[in-house]
Amino acid sequence: MLILENMDHGELSNGFPHNQNQNPTTTPPPSSNNNLPSLKRKRNLPGNPDPEAEVIALSPKTLMATNRFLCETCGKGFQRDQNLQLHRRGHNLPWKLKQRTNKEPKKRVYVCPEKTCVHNHPSRALGDLTGIKKHFCRKHGEKKWKCDKCSKRYAVQSDWKAHSKTCGTREYKCDCGTIFSRRDSFITHRAFCDALAEETARVNAASSINNSTLGANNNNNNIIGYNNMMIGTSMAPHHNNNNNMATQFASICNKPIPFPEEARNNQTTTRGLSLWMDHHHHHRQEATMATNNNNYHLNWVFGSKISTNLSQDLSSNTTITSTTTTSLSVPSLYSSQHQPHQTCASSSSANMSATALLQKAAQVGATSCGPSSFLGALGLKCSNGSGQGQDGNNNKFCGVYGSSLVLTSSSNNINTEPENNELSQMLPSKRRHVMPNEESGGGQTRDFLGVGGANHHFPPFINQSLDLI
Amino acid sequence: MTSSSLNSDDPCFDGDGKWATKLLRECARAINDRDSSKIQHLLWMLNELASPYGDSQQKLASYFLQALFCKATQTGQRFYMNLKSASEKNQSFDSARKMILKFQEVSPWTTFGHVASNGAILEAFLEAGGEKNKKKKLHIIDISNNTSTFCTQWPTFLESLATKSSDHVETPQLKLTIVLVKESLKGSVMNEICQRMEKFARLMRVPFEINMINGVEHLWKVTKEELGIVVEEEDNDDDDEVFIAVNCVGGLRRVEEGERGNVIGILKSLSPRIVTIVEEESGGSDDSCITRNDDDDFVKCFEECLRFYKIYFEMLEESFPTISNEKLMLERECSRNILVDLGCNNNNNNDSDHNKRERGVEWSMRFREYFTPIGLSDDVVDDVRALLKRYNRSGWSLMLPSSKVEGIYLKWRDQPVLWASAWKP
Repeated sequence: MLILENMDHGELSNGFPHNQNQNPTTTPPPSSNNNLPSLKRKRNLPGNPDPEAEVIALSPKTLMATNRFLCETCGKGFQRDQNLQLHRRGHNLPWKLKQRTNKEPKKRVYVCPEKTCVHNHPSRALGDLTGIKKHFCRKHGEKKWKCDKCSKRYAVQSDWKAHSKTCGTREYKCDCGTIFSRRDSFITHRAFCDALAEETARVNAASSINNSTLGANNNNNNIIGYNNMMIGTSMAPHHNNNNNMATQFASICNKPIPFPEEARNNQTTTRGLSLWMDHHHHHRQEATMATNNNNYHLNWVFGSKISTNLSQDLSSNTTITSTTTTSLSVPSLYSSQHQPHQTCASSSSANMSATALLQKAAQVGATSCGPSSFLGALGLKCSNGSGQGQDGNNNKFCGVYGSSLVLTSSSNNINTEPENNELSQMLPSKRRHVMPNEESGGGQTRDFLGVGGANHHFPPFINQSLDLI
Repeated sequence: MTSSSLNSDDPCFDGDGKWATKLLRECARAINDRDSSKIQHLLWMLNELASPYGDSQQKLASYFLQALFCKATQTGQRFYMNLKSASEKNQSFDSARKMILKFQEVSPWTTFGHVASNGAILEAFLEAGGEKNKKKKLHIIDISNNTSTFCTQWPTFLESLATKSSDHVETPQLKLTIVLVKESLKGSVMNEICQRMEKFARLMRVPFEINMINGVEHLWKVTKEELGIVVEEEDNDDDDEVFIAVNCVGGLRRVEEGERGNVIGILKSLSPRIVTIVEEESGGSDDSCITRNDDDDFVKCFEECLRFYKIYFEMLEESFPTISNEKLMLERECSRNILVDLGCNNNNNNDSDHNKRERGVEWSMRFREYFTPIGLSDDVVDDVRALLKRYNRSGWSLMLPSSKVEGIYLKWRDQPVLWASAWKP
């Protein structure tokens, strides 16, 4: 049979029926497929295959082969056996259409041929042939398709097509409420937006309340005075012209952080910093470190792994940080499988990539007003996951966090409600305005140069003799 | 605005209605010829008719008038200093931000250079060190017109850096040293910018440090220490070696003509791995003001200024809505530049503020003495193209490097207005 020949080239059937499954949860979350008729095949979570399934390892060549079924007569290739059979009729060759089997078909899962890939291991095999093909292309393939509007590149044609449909149509909404149709304008705006400044200040204040309960690195002995300290340091006016503002991460170096990813980050940051800073800076830093520590640490931490800190409080599983990744980043990777929308909520901010954060803000209508808007933007509220689009390349952004972040696409349906509520309670309801406005320009109506039109009207010179050399 | 004392038979009102252009030209000629009564007369007429709130001719008249007056009365330097200190005093982060963001929204004038430079720097950085040895530290020395653009080049760079290094084990660290040549930002404005950049970098998860050096009078005197380049950095082993990039967007023009060679040499001594330069494409024509022929020197310079700034004002007019505060602010800023270009130049050789304009080819010649050109990659060019596509006004286009020219040009209505290029040692 032709099919077998093809298979012989590269396909090995991994015969073992039971695979080591590292992740005990293989049952799909209650939200998926519950409402569907029982005939529908049970879907496993991507990357956590059914231990009973047969593991198949295809070579890259076979995997990427588009026309595996060849007609013996004319050599024409087909993607499906069915199509080949129908074609064979035309040659008056014996043909047979395979019936769809009634019994439960043998489950097959596929591993990625790339040895360094996490999906190379059978325990992390993917259940869908199309899925593994796309994965392979996206992760390990050349990005041949390019969007002509934004010049973003894609390895998988369908990703590119999907992107092209939405490119330019997508809107980005900043916390301040402004909407942008262009990503670059949005980014630039965001960087200088007041909303950014306010949010981090507010968050600092909020997080510090919980400081003592966090149990982690608490250099702030003085919670009572935290308000002033926060405001004082977060917006510390820098009076020198030759400003040497230490990187915020400096404050973190001294802290032992429980999680491996962060620890590594710290070490490298420290190392990096010691090179960056000459003695002069260092001295200054130490002075400010004590006060800045808490502020910046929390600031930073909040921005990154909020569930980490909270989890200690809530005594939820610290594995949240590594497992809840990011349906944000991954949805289209497994687009052939349905990601329950709740996964967006569970992904939280834990390991959100930079772009994902921005994209979260990009959902129109996803953000809400109020103290929790920032959190909402981070996905703690269960927001519309579909707004993320089918951007297959987002998966790579997870790595921004400096951890070898594994795309565990476990859609653990972690109940985020408690977290959400906790935070809402933590945040002061009053918006704290910490913008220093020492010498504000006096509003926009003022003449930019402040000199009015006077400069354009000269003192009457008609009567003066122009003194020309 | 008309004046009844003007004779409507006056020849300047004939023809195409470009009365301001004609008057200004005649005035420049008169200044060159030192015909004081004519100068007086023309300046008076221009003063009567000019208005910064009027139509394009009126505006042109208004913004050039000041420069010509200063040139005629040799008061340029003083006037400029007054304007400069007044504007610095009245800087406000809010209005500055609003202005530049709006400008970038309606026109690629500034973002062209940013996109090209960011792309070139990021590519060079990511490619350095090869597969195994990905570079970890990037130090960008930014010598640009940040008193106009307020560091708006960098947020998108940060985001790009974060995104494109996502497959690295650690996010690379970025250190940004902003050098302001001859101009200064008010302390509070500087603070705002730095703070926000830091916060944004945190959001992007990029280890970040920013440093601003204000009001450098003589760029060629700045030392490595002042720039924050620790000498030890260069001795480290390859892994920790800092990748230094120099970014000059509209910055070199402010260096006095006589010092430009030195400055480029100084840049070379910083051992950058890449230098990006963006400048306005304006300057003497081929024979140019390089000829120290005093006779028509001023007229030639004037003509070139008029040509270039006319394009600029037209571009502003087309890009912004008719009534716009931001446009007004930009126009005023521009008139200060005109003042510097035309009004401050003395006939003596003390050109403390002589910002002679040079075109891309001329800058290239200077750079070739110390650096070799790097072509901007296809990806970067595509990025720039994509940028231009986003602007609805279809006046924008790209001119690519040819065998004769380095770098790429931004064109508006088919006239090259900005030049961007990249260099390596």
